[in-house]
Amino acid sequence: MLDTIDYLPPENIFLTDPTRRKDLPFFDIAVQAGFPNPADNFIRQRLNLQDLCVLHPDNTYFVKASGESMIGDYIFPGSMLVVDSTRPIETGMVIVIWVNEGWCVKRYIDKSPMIMLESSNEKYAPMYLHPDRDQVAVLGEVTYIISKPPRYARPR
Amino acid sequence: MLALVDANSFYASCHQIFRPELEGKPIIVLSNRDGNVVARSAQAKALGIKMGQPFFETRELVDQHDVVVFSSNYELYGDISSRLMSLLTQFAPDVEVYSIDEAFLQLEEYTGIYPSYQGLGLSIRESMKQWLRLPVGVGIGPTKTLAKVANRLAKIKPELNGVCVLDSQEAIDEALWGFPIEDVWGVGGKSVSKLKKQGIRTAYQLREVNDDWIQRVMTVNGLRLVHELRGMPCKLLDVNPPPRKAICTEPGFGKVIPDLDTITDALTVHLSRICEKLRKQESLCGTVTVWLRTNPHRRTPGNFLPAKQYSNSVTVRLPHPTSSTLEIIKYAASGLKAIFKFGYNYQRVGIMLTDLVPADYRQMGVFTQGPDERLIRLSAVIDKVNKRYGQDKLRLASQMYNPEWPMKPSYLSPRYTTRWEDILEAH
Repeated sequence: MLDTIDYLPPENIFLTDPTRRKDLPFFDIAVQAGFPNPADNFIRQRLNLQDLCVLHPDNTYFVKASGESMIGDYIFPGSMLVVDSTRPIETGMVIVIWVNEGWCVKRYIDKSPMIMLESSNEKYAPMYLHPDRDQVAVLGEVTYIISKPPRYARPR
Repeated sequence: MLALVDANSFYASCHQIFRPELEGKPIIVLSNRDGNVVARSAQAKALGIKMGQPFFETRELVDQHDVVVFSSNYELYGDISSRLMSLLTQFAPDVEVYSIDEAFLQLEEYTGIYPSYQGLGLSIRESMKQWLRLPVGVGIGPTKTLAKVANRLAKIKPELNGVCVLDSQEAIDEALWGFPIEDVWGVGGKSVSKLKKQGIRTAYQLREVNDDWIQRVMTVNGLRLVHELRGMPCKLLDVNPPPRKAICTEPGFGKVIPDLDTITDALTVHLSRICEKLRKQESLCGTVTVWLRTNPHRRTPGNFLPAKQYSNSVTVRLPHPTSSTLEIIKYAASGLKAIFKFGYNYQRVGIMLTDLVPADYRQMGVFTQGPDERLIRLSAVIDKVNKRYGQDKLRLASQMYNPEWPMKPSYLSPRYTTRWEDILEAH
């Protein structure tokens, strides 16, 4: 049990821009003619989440998760999944896949000729599928998960 | 060499991307008032549903064969199309977007990672299947017209696996040998009958004609086409398309409308919309055409006799080119008034803006002032405000705002890639 506060190192804190607009920060410094503004070298584009989470905008889909089968992989009901279809799927990826009558999010394990889809919640058994018998269609790989922190439960 | 890549039944395929259970099912897509069929999946074509057929005529087939019906969802098609075009630039740097679902790729000096054109075509096909879940066909040939021929063959011959390459004289000869002239790109209905009278039935025969003769029969365009069939490029890649020469819209009302006021309102709404398009491509328009028509399929309630028909159009030449909604509506509304007749139930009003010139063009009329610069600037400001606060937030007073209108289509599908509230859900 640690009783020290683990501070976030200051280099991990960034000024972010929630909108997609690229604003330039405005330095309110009266410029004397002929004297270069010392802040000029520090004018940077603000960061936005799109640049971090969406590497291939043309191949990226946003999907909303529902259900609790992937809680062990930090996917909660209401999480927003960033799904990228650039790479072919391989064993171990968390993917969004169509199985028979609906889209689901599962971990993919190749068990040729079968496909195994694992959940990360012990209440859910793994699924075994056969490409000839079942209808499967892959949307892509989950590359980022965006969710809110869990609600605070008051200790009794 | 050029490649033509196009999506198979693009609109229907867009609906299948997020609904795999619809694969292999007959699907039709309706025009923007659910009036006519504008797209069909291969299975719906096989049922005999025609392009442009009024929806009510297909009801029986739809119910019999469980045809899946969608209202057109241009937001979805537009987004998928822009993804497709942008991804195609990974295969060749020069891409000409030819329409919403087809593009020409320049493969000249092509030294890529693919050993052959066939390999490149297959790679494009497989990548689009994986990335967008979209089926595409690829035709490759030395000219645009031959690439079109190849693309068509790739579609109709299943054994080609969706890729057809015409890279040798033998392959081209074989392809053109049985290729009907009416399927050649740029041969219109009139030319078909002229050519058939001369006994020319296939593209192969068309290629062998005398140059002077074809120029007489089909003008210089026909000559270009024949040259293209012989493998000499005349239609070059057009990477930056010129601004459109005409902008046109003809929405229906959903229900029939008998009075001039309501029609004028509708006209104003649509005109505002296409004037925005006009300003977006930085053009001015010189001529406005307005037309009006009744519903040709309507029967009089009660006795089922065909209802009275009336249609008319009027073309107004503006005193000077302009892009201001205010100026154009003045002329369009007076034109409408001139052709409007009482006693009919109208179904459609259409507007076409033609005679488009670039916005930096200014030519003073002899007897009139040039376009009012202030009005053009005002329109630009209105566009900006509406872009920020939503369509029609700032509008002309004559644009009567009726939330009931335009009618809501009944077979809407989610806009999966452009609206947060419509995104896919996975369990």
